[in-house]
Amino acid sequence: MTYLRRLPKFEYVGPRTLTEVCSLISGGAPDDAMLLAGGTDAILQMRRRERVPRRVIGLKGVAELDFVREQADGGLSIGAMTTLHSLLSAPAIRQRYAILHETAAQIGGPELRNIATIGGNIAGALPCADLPPALMTLDAQIKLSSHRGERWMPLRDFFPEFGRTVAQDDELLSEIKLPRPAPYSAGTYLKFHDRQSMDMTVVGVGAFVVLDDDGRTVRELRLAYANGAPTVFRAMKAEAVLCGQLFGEKVLDAVAEAACSESSPRTSWRANAGYRLSLIRALTKRAIRRSWQSASSQKGTK
Amino acid sequence: MNDLVDVSLQVNGVRYDVAIRPWRTLLEVLRETLGMTGTKRSCGEGQCGTCSVLIDGEVVNACLYLAIEAQGKEIETIEGRPEGEPVLQQIQRSFAEKGAVQCGFCTPGMVIATKALLGDNPQPSEDEIREALVGHLCRCTGYVQIVEAIQDAASRLARERLR
Amino acid sequence: MSAEIRHEFQVIGKPTPKKDAPLKAAGRAEFADDINMAGMLHGKLLRSPHPHARILSIDASRAAALPGVRAVITGKDFPGVRYGNLPRTRDYLPLAIDTVRYIGEEVAAVAAIDEDTAEEALDLVQVEYEVLPAVFDPEEAMKPGAPQLHAPAPGNISAHTESEFGNVEAAFAEAAYIREDMFETHAVKQGMLEPHACVGVWDSFGKATLWSCKMSPYTVWRQLAMGLDMKPGDIRVVQTYVGGGFSGGKQEAMPMDFCALMLSKKTGRPVKFVHTMEEVLTIGHLRHPMKIWLRTGTTKDGRIVAQHCKLLANGGAYSSIGGFSIFLAGAMLNLPYRVPNMRFESNRVYTNNGFCGALRGHTVVQMCFARDSQLELIAADLGIDPLEIRHRNAIQEGDVTANGFRIGTFAFDECIKRVAEMSGWHEKRGKLPKYRGIGFGCGAHLSGARLMGHSASAAEIRMLEDGTVHLTTGSTDVGQGVETVMSMIAAEVLGIEVDDVTYLKVDSAATPLDPGTFGSRVTLFTGNAVKQAAEEVCRQLAEIAGERMGVDPQDLIFRRREIVNHKDEKQRVSLKEIVRWGMFQQGKVISGRGTYGASEEKIDFRTGQGNLSPAYNPTACAVEVEVDPETGRVTMVGLWGADDSGTPLNPLAVKGQVIGAAVMSIGHALWENLIRIDGKVMNPSLRDYKMPQATDLPKLANFEHSNVITWEPEGPFGAKEAGQGAGTGVVAAIANAIHDATGVRLTRLPFTPESILAGIEELKEKEAVTES
Repeated sequence: MTYLRRLPKFEYVGPRTLTEVCSLISGGAPDDAMLLAGGTDAILQMRRRERVPRRVIGLKGVAELDFVREQADGGLSIGAMTTLHSLLSAPAIRQRYAILHETAAQIGGPELRNIATIGGNIAGALPCADLPPALMTLDAQIKLSSHRGERWMPLRDFFPEFGRTVAQDDELLSEIKLPRPAPYSAGTYLKFHDRQSMDMTVVGVGAFVVLDDDGRTVRELRLAYANGAPTVFRAMKAEAVLCGQLFGEKVLDAVAEAACSESSPRTSWRANAGYRLSLIRALTKRAIRRSWQSASSQKGTK
Repeated sequence: MNDLVDVSLQVNGVRYDVAIRPWRTLLEVLRETLGMTGTKRSCGEGQCGTCSVLIDGEVVNACLYLAIEAQGKEIETIEGRPEGEPVLQQIQRSFAEKGAVQCGFCTPGMVIATKALLGDNPQPSEDEIREALVGHLCRCTGYVQIVEAIQDAASRLARERLR
Repeated sequence: MSAEIRHEFQVIGKPTPKKDAPLKAAGRAEFADDINMAGMLHGKLLRSPHPHARILSIDASRAAALPGVRAVITGKDFPGVRYGNLPRTRDYLPLAIDTVRYIGEEVAAVAAIDEDTAEEALDLVQVEYEVLPAVFDPEEAMKPGAPQLHAPAPGNISAHTESEFGNVEAAFAEAAYIREDMFETHAVKQGMLEPHACVGVWDSFGKATLWSCKMSPYTVWRQLAMGLDMKPGDIRVVQTYVGGGFSGGKQEAMPMDFCALMLSKKTGRPVKFVHTMEEVLTIGHLRHPMKIWLRTGTTKDGRIVAQHCKLLANGGAYSSIGGFSIFLAGAMLNLPYRVPNMRFESNRVYTNNGFCGALRGHTVVQMCFARDSQLELIAADLGIDPLEIRHRNAIQEGDVTANGFRIGTFAFDECIKRVAEMSGWHEKRGKLPKYRGIGFGCGAHLSGARLMGHSASAAEIRMLEDGTVHLTTGSTDVGQGVETVMSMIAAEVLGIEVDDVTYLKVDSAATPLDPGTFGSRVTLFTGNAVKQAAEEVCRQLAEIAGERMGVDPQDLIFRRREIVNHKDEKQRVSLKEIVRWGMFQQGKVISGRGTYGASEEKIDFRTGQGNLSPAYNPTACAVEVEVDPETGRVTMVGLWGADDSGTPLNPLAVKGQVIGAAVMSIGHALWENLIRIDGKVMNPSLRDYKMPQATDLPKLANFEHSNVITWEPEGPFGAKEAGQGAGTGVVAAIANAIHDATGVRLTRLPFTPESILAGIEELKEKEAVTES
């Protein structure tokens, strides 16, 4: 049997700039060099010998990747090395992207949040990660940087299959951009797990509702799931069910059923697929209801 | 690959120049290289909190932190500064007096987490105290006396400040 | 002379901070993993990847050749003598020799200059296995043709007990009401935060010394002697600080202990072993998963007339203390309710899983879950109030149970009443909003057991010339506060301060022979021994003082570090002066010894008849929960408990003990579950083995415990046990609260959200059918 061992031997490089990082990974095979962000997952992967890199490229010293910046267009830009703690401390996130604040607060405890980064939570490509579904409901764009240049893409297209991203071996997730929140909009992320804290997500449901100017009709709904499938995903068919509709329990049932049929959760010793579907059904409705209430209560305050 | 790397670590206000292997965690270097065994090792994966230390004032799991990445940062451990630290000592006293210490294996980590909490939030509510302890397991106490000890430390430190 | 003639205690009964707490809070308490010795090597264990296999060969040559490796050993380096707890169940080996019986069993060990090298060396040990068929389920294991684990145990029966008291058949025949239910419990762990660790030194004179975090160093000492086939006198076990025990591997000698010594012998260096948490969670020492079939007959008004229990325990690959575990399960069915006629049959079965043994509350927890869940069902069937049925059946002081327990203090009725008041039971039961519920659960524990073999405690007090004392016993402080409470007892008798007493850790070369810390025995057994030792010191001092003061020694009392003539309190002299006078002028050595054996009564372990403990502790609790009807998730809203721990000697420590015990049971009921699939542990980490966090528990305002104070004549200063009883009723209370909240009756542990939601949905379907 294998057990949690001491770390494997590796060479450590600590670049100070993004350009240095890009040049360090410009030609590398994936297992040869490993990017170390916060390390809360990566250190354990190495201790379990799931990854045995020859070289570890530590990103903690790359100051230019650690920022939360409000954009001129009203959006928000977040550096990939921003810790969950920094996300929680950013007033812009608490005030304007409450779902992101709410989600970060549900991950780990103070120790882990002081180390774990937004970039690591996304790039780890785990289906149970909590930030990606929340960010997907915010329509996040991500920036991939390499020595060849940079490209932007929607986060929802980032995870092609379990444990993988579409980033090339020479690319690094460097920045996350959130568009300006629409009027009459709100979202929530419901993380289901056994204890009150520290647990891995059994099912996570992110919902974001944008209402028409009447404050009642749903103009847009975005739904994204952790552990609803082999990757975090947007349930776009379910979203469509509510678009242009007035909010009501009947249509909510239809949305939840659609979300269930778009999901393909796994059965494992942690939970059965049937139970995960029950959670998806219940929590989808609950998340939409809460988001709708919050968005519609903004009417008259604007 | 046996390459030792020269690293300079600032622990409890004292600078230590050590030659370490790059794959050493901060926990390993504190315990094995510097002989500071007050920081405990248990789960090895950031779940139990027995290895908590402060890095630049923020509480982290030393088992998940490479020592080489702690260079240039201020590391604080349960041993405290050689000249003594009144806040740390008050927390330790409150833990001892309120029955928050049983086997004592989780205690150093709990005390460090309390120091971080009270630094950010000198008058935490019960819920805030409990939230701050997430990531710290205690199997002996059921946390009641730990929460009470932290409340006690907070109010005593507040009284100190008023004086 | 003795402390009782004083009406008020100086020390006893006052909340007293733990003596070692400042040291521990400063991070300066030295745990086994903190030990560093010159030239020390680091050991690692190679473990079986197969649940059942024959070892055909082991080639360690490549491992031994790795630079930095100092020695590699296998089972053949040991004498091949099996060791264990009970004479008929000795089936452990230091390392497997020809067969491995579970995934994780130790087959080889390496010592190297650092842990990294030792781990690397494990990869190079080549073991050739012949994989054998394995069996994981106890019912399968009992079937003819099942793989056999141990030759001397046909049918894989590891232990069997059968007992009957009264006339069960006749009582059932006359019972007005009978029901039977099946309950299932699961595998859970001690969950102490300090992983097992030890340092072994084999010196050039052939003496072996082990420093280790053991709760019962003398048990380890004895087992090391067995497995190493050595004279016990050539082995020394020294206790370090213990970072949580709760039984298990800190109670017994483990492969790492043997290997540290053997590798030290081979290398001439100290060798340290530390388990990873993954190893701790893999190797065993689990609470026995059980199937408990319980049939109960009552009168019309709910008085129990007979109980018949059949128990099947999944023992895993080895015996551990399992023979006693199932015996205790049956014996403790006799508490805390009157059961005049009882039949108990149990089998503990070997399977290819990690082995099971003792864990806080031992097997009492499982039995209380079954019995107090069923009692609630009986109350409902008969239309009796759940508290009333408990009162009607409550054991009373002075009772003798069917199996011969002689009940001393036992304020069970008062515990129930007090919990009802504290929890607001009468205002809440049946009146809470839907999916909010309150439930009751009761249990009991003993204050140390009379066992086969050595079960007496001993203490020695040495008076030092400055008027302070050294106190030694064989009982260890594992966090529960032994060093403080034993010091309090000595200080009370000697009229000195708690800080004047130095409580030394157990060292088999220096401290009295004593079975150690387990079974809630220390306060009562060791406490009585300490009291006796202190009284002997007082007698010696009184003699010296009497002579010096010209007073009858019988008239002297000890208080505030003085010896006082109680007939004329102006006549007083400092204790220190008398000590120095006696030592320096009279050449005396002032020291006292005490023992407590509770040996006047015997247990017949074959029939189960006899008085197992000198004292018994009833407990009751109420739990309030909220259930999310859409997810099945349970939130703990409140917990209120009361028990009769006699007279609490140190209320601060008692509070920590009872709340700690209750919280452990909450974890076991709701979140903790060591899952094995085909013998492999799926969740050997503290991320996935989910112990309660601070946020999972009721708030301070809704989390209360009360001591119903009695004066137990068998206990020192009236005390009984406190560390285990309080956890015994909690699991049933949670089951009963979930039932009150949802209507779902859970008979299988743990109570997962998935099982609760399934129950809620099933009820909804039934309702829908009834309506249509």
